[in-house]
Amino acid sequence: MRKTWTVAAAAALALVMSSCGGSTPPGADTDDNADGTQGGGGSTETIKIGSLHPLTGGAAADGQQMDNGAQLAVDAINEAGGIESMGGAKLELVSADTQGKPEIGQSEAQRLVQEGVIGLVGTYQSAVTANVSTVAERAKIPLVIDVSSADSILQQGYSFTFRVQPSSQVLGTGGAQYLAEVSEAAGEPAQKVAILHEQGPFGSGVRDSFVAEAEARGMEIGPVISYDAASVSDFTTQITQVKAAEADVLMVAGYYRDGVLVAQAVDTVDPGLNAVWGVANGAFDLPQFPEEVGDAGEGYFDANYHPDMTNPDMQALADLYRETYDDEIRTGAVLAHDAVYVLAAGLESAGEADGQKVRDAISENEVPTLIAGNGPISFDEVGENTNAFPILMQVQDGVVVQVHPEQFAEADPIFPAFQ
Amino acid sequence: MTSQPMVADQETRTPTPSAWWARLPWLRIGIVLAAVVAAIVLAYLRSGSTVVVTQAVVTGILIGGVYGLVAMGLTLIFGVLDIVNFAHGSFLAIALFLSYYLVAGMGMHPYLALLIVLPAMFLLGALVQRFVLAGAMGKPLENQLLITLGISLVIENSLLLFFGANPRSVSLPGDQGVAILGAVAELSRILAFVGALVLAGLLFLLLRRTSLGTAIRAVAANDAGAQMVGIDTRWIYMLTFAIGTACAGAAGVLVAPLVTIEPVTGALFNIIAFVVVVLGGMGNVVGALLGGLVVGLAEQLGALLLPGQSPLLVVFIVFVLVLLLRPQGLFGRSGS
Repeated sequence: MRKTWTVAAAAALALVMSSCGGSTPPGADTDDNADGTQGGGGSTETIKIGSLHPLTGGAAADGQQMDNGAQLAVDAINEAGGIESMGGAKLELVSADTQGKPEIGQSEAQRLVQEGVIGLVGTYQSAVTANVSTVAERAKIPLVIDVSSADSILQQGYSFTFRVQPSSQVLGTGGAQYLAEVSEAAGEPAQKVAILHEQGPFGSGVRDSFVAEAEARGMEIGPVISYDAASVSDFTTQITQVKAAEADVLMVAGYYRDGVLVAQAVDTVDPGLNAVWGVANGAFDLPQFPEEVGDAGEGYFDANYHPDMTNPDMQALADLYRETYDDEIRTGAVLAHDAVYVLAAGLESAGEADGQKVRDAISENEVPTLIAGNGPISFDEVGENTNAFPILMQVQDGVVVQVHPEQFAEADPIFPAFQ
Repeated sequence: MTSQPMVADQETRTPTPSAWWARLPWLRIGIVLAAVVAAIVLAYLRSGSTVVVTQAVVTGILIGGVYGLVAMGLTLIFGVLDIVNFAHGSFLAIALFLSYYLVAGMGMHPYLALLIVLPAMFLLGALVQRFVLAGAMGKPLENQLLITLGISLVIENSLLLFFGANPRSVSLPGDQGVAILGAVAELSRILAFVGALVLAGLLFLLLRRTSLGTAIRAVAANDAGAQMVGIDTRWIYMLTFAIGTACAGAAGVLVAPLVTIEPVTGALFNIIAFVVVVLGGMGNVVGALLGGLVVGLAEQLGALLLPGQSPLLVVFIVFVLVLLLRPQGLFGRSGS
């Protein structure tokens, strides 16, 4: 049965392809303002910054958003006079497509290094970021991570890697802390919390820190159910397990597509929860989520890093993004935007395009951020942003609003979220 | 240049109704059922909750129907044209986007979109076969495999280019939970399952009871022989590929309310569809449906049996076991 084995091999190939996002060959980047645009306004130099994101494949929507966010930051910096300490040198964003694949991300990073970029921002997927951070370390240029939460990336002992977003450790802890605060304030303290998480490093990392903090605060945890985000197509069975366990809160750590399926299954099974509690969830705090699931998403919480919509600068960026790209800005784009500012501030302080000097400057700088958190971006010795912290969002009347803590709240949290 | 026929020839010679009924592989069906029952009992012992296990079985059967639905066109194309069609998932994605635009743009009922999507996909399939694949017919399997892989890349990235990567969705008016034996299921999933049954039935009738079906089976069994008795094999190739693509179209319309629509959505189903095709016996439409059910149940019960593992683990354990013990598929004919 030669044919059977051919088909089996084909199935294996399909598995490999799809697990990597299956898309175009590398090389097609979008540096539309290459050569020729420099030399305006007396600037002597153009400094290249690399933007590495998944522009095709399964995460293309987020990747393109992030690349756009980085481009808006570069444009804004150039318009404001470029890097002053370097005679008004202009920045140029060189975009590359990682396709969401670690090996492509690595080779594209090497290509950008050869093109002479002075720093990198990226890359969304933790596995890709881990490879890119190795390239940056070897080339001695700073990598500013916008999105990638796996704790392990910064535990490699690299000195050129920095992360703007909170680590999964911080996200899980913050998520459990907010759950305790909000449920106790409502007089219905969370007692039994079921956990549904994607099985990769992101979901498991968030689960571990969430469980530790929740148990310390006296909550009972169980059942803990994991799933494969790439292939899952229905959550009815899992939600029935949650219902059978009589949990009063369901914590969910996952991505967009699976988040939508969870909401549909919760709506169908009706497990009698007080709340569905996303932690760093890729769906529950996106404007598309209530649009896609309708009433089924009403009342969903998400403790996540999020742009501070009470900040006028952030509102201006959201307007600019809508105007430029005809789409609603997502958190990832704002983080990429911030990451470019981190690099620019490093260049400004260093006064020259030298990887080591820019790295040293970044590690000492404080850079204002549009993301809600405990303060400006500043890095500890391993490169984590010490002021990164999640805030709590909830879907209310079909719109995602900030509800906790107080200083970021646009509305009061509604808990229990369901009648 | 064709490889040896995989369809046993007595099959095509005696299409009498009483004959196939008696020739059903009762023993194998019994073994599969016994395995399913054992898995259910184990899952019950493991989780200790009847409701959860019932829900897993109901969900598994419904999801299995969807998997079978997606795999039917694939298995048909493989059985007749010997093409491992990597573009099947991409055709499904086209159908999803078509349904989306018919529903969201023109306010059509999600299932009425069938009236437009089916003929459109049929035409697309015919064109692709005639102008892209026809030249590679009879060439080694790898040639067509690479061509269809190329087609899938072109389609996926064109969708990305023209429609962007933002997720879209189709919602079914009046979609709600329906109680079945203490478990629940969304109405849209039940309808997709029913659609899978209907489609399998229609294809079965087409292949067994019409002269076109007889011609298709003749080409599948031995294309040189079919040509000698006056069947226009090129025409049959084109028609079969078109029918297979139309099946992807039907699947697209039926699963549109269940999934988030993105350019890569179709590819998600590709792996499972290949597994289902092999399990069900290549070229066997009803086998694809049964293979789908096996995969759906393996996935759902597997998640209960081995918590913390990918549900696909159990699916692939079943897949590898079947490949080793019965390479022609659970419900394939015992050829050779």
